[in-house]
Amino acid sequence: MAGCGYFNFMDNLIFELNQVYFSYLGRYPALCGVDIRISSGEKICIIGANGAGKSTFLQLLDALIFADKGSVCFRGKELNEKIFTDAKFSQEFRRQVGFIFQNSEVQLFCPTVKEDIVFGPLNLGFEKGLIQKRLEMLIAALNIEDLLERSPHQLSIGEKRKVAIASTLIIDPQVLILDEPTAGLDPLVTRNIIDLLIQANAEGKTIITATHDLHIVEEIADTVYVFGRQKKIVKSGPAETILTDTQLLQENNLVHIHRHKHKDKVHIHPHLHLDHHGEDA
Amino acid sequence: MKANNFIERSIVGTLAFLREAIFSQEIALQNGFLQSLDPRVKITGFLLLLLKTLIACDLHTLFFLYGICLLLVLISKVGPGFFLLRTWVFIPLFSLCIGLPALFGPGDPLWSGYFLGIKLVISSQGLFGALIFVMRVLTCVSFVVLLNITTRHFELLKVLRIFKVPQIFVMTLGMSYRYIFLFIEIIQNTYLGIKSRVGSVICYRPGQRLVAWNIVSLWNYSLLLNQEVYKAMLSRGYRGEDLAWSDFRARGRDLGWLAAVILILWII
Ligand SMILES: Nc1ncnc2c1ncn2[C@@H]1O[C@H](COP(=O)(O)OP(=O)(O)OP(=O)(O)O)[C@@H](O)[C@H]1O
Ligand SMILES: [Mg+2]
Repeated sequence: MAGCGYFNFMDNLIFELNQVYFSYLGRYPALCGVDIRISSGEKICIIGANGAGKSTFLQLLDALIFADKGSVCFRGKELNEKIFTDAKFSQEFRRQVGFIFQNSEVQLFCPTVKEDIVFGPLNLGFEKGLIQKRLEMLIAALNIEDLLERSPHQLSIGEKRKVAIASTLIIDPQVLILDEPTAGLDPLVTRNIIDLLIQANAEGKTIITATHDLHIVEEIADTVYVFGRQKKIVKSGPAETILTDTQLLQENNLVHIHRHKHKDKVHIHPHLHLDHHGEDA
Repeated sequence: MKANNFIERSIVGTLAFLREAIFSQEIALQNGFLQSLDPRVKITGFLLLLLKTLIACDLHTLFFLYGICLLLVLISKVGPGFFLLRTWVFIPLFSLCIGLPALFGPGDPLWSGYFLGIKLVISSQGLFGALIFVMRVLTCVSFVVLLNITTRHFELLKVLRIFKVPQIFVMTLGMSYRYIFLFIEIIQNTYLGIKSRVGSVICYRPGQRLVAWNIVSLWNYSLLLNQEVYKAMLSRGYRGEDLAWSDFRARGRDLGWLAAVILILWII
């Protein structure tokens, strides 16, 4: 058994959810019966319309909220409030699972960018030399040298996102959970981030991403899960299969409806943005 | 319309001023003498100087300390005009409230005259006391302002943490700073939002309602923000402990500063 004695590292299963229900304030249902099994080293994508429960699902995986009904297990341990009162367990879990929020605004709360980035490792008891080394690496990878001494809330949305990503990557977790990591970013930064994720996955990390951006799905997902209006998984499968299921995508608000002008006639048709280059040419 | 414009201009002006005054760190970013010091050492030195100012009771010492302050201004690339303006603003206020009555205290008469039929006598002790008082206030205010404008906001907070001020206190300070920023931002955006929809003429009443509504939504927003921020802290392993990342490094220059301060205080 590797690592601490808490977790079962023998088999590959990382997360196992059985019939999970969750509602906010007991009134607003957000997840209604989710079943999923996620193995080590997998890369998966969660897609679905606004309000389908993607963010809620991811927060449940990171044990920021707990299921009302059903069970969420991480490496064979059921996640609930009680188990997180154990400081050692909680530290070990936080070291292994990193979460990047949909709203970077909330993820940044320190006076400077630099302090924000080192907040995680400091709280998780990492060694200073190691923190410094990883910090330098991330600064280079994300090109955020100039931002370090600035106040996070005065940055642009894209800059905030980069800092938020750095603040999680510096923990170097085995499982990375990302909630819309590329929303609002320019193409080059998007590319950088996807490359980072692919590299992390190649090193054996598990990547779980929620996104609306179908362009990136194929690169960062072996398996795609579609969350439907029923607030549960309505379909899952390999990226190629899901992305070519136009009807499914259309039902879940995932295709663009375009208006085209061909000569003098305007016509409207749903339109999938996968073969970007082919179409533009 | 005219009045409206006036209000509009003054609101925008006030906001811009607030932003400038609270968030501009222009001077702190210059590379003058004080800016180059390790904030911990700098703040310690300032605390010593302030303490001395508070207990000094003769004019020479106070003049000397004020002189030191002005010298520091000059070698720290702070515009002297700007600095004097910023510190002297307070002085008339203090002198009027407390200094002036002290002038007429008991003692050897120095000057006497009639004002509105009342006989007023300025005593030499009174004059002396008032002068000391004003000098002390002036010097203290000057030191505090100087420290404030040459140190970046977060460095002050960080030093508080390093000096073991409880985190909850420091965090509240930091949060208030953030809320003021957010608040100014929201008012400005609301203002722009209204302007873009209804043009520049804003009637008083709906405007007022909008501002009130915004305060409510700001409150809700900050509540939500707090919950979410807390989750974000949890997610990165926060367990309510005080941990500060100190990368300050005291160098020869810093020791020189501290030694100089102590030497000066010892001599006078
Ligand atoms: N703090 C909250 N209080 C009450 N209801 C909430 C809260 N957060 C989310 N919900 C509700 O829970 C449901 C799922 O929300 P969630 O944020 O998980 O959706 P999402 O799939 O991430 O959407 P998006 O694509 O817009 O990010 C929604 O119906 C939403 O209204
Ligand atoms: Mg979401």
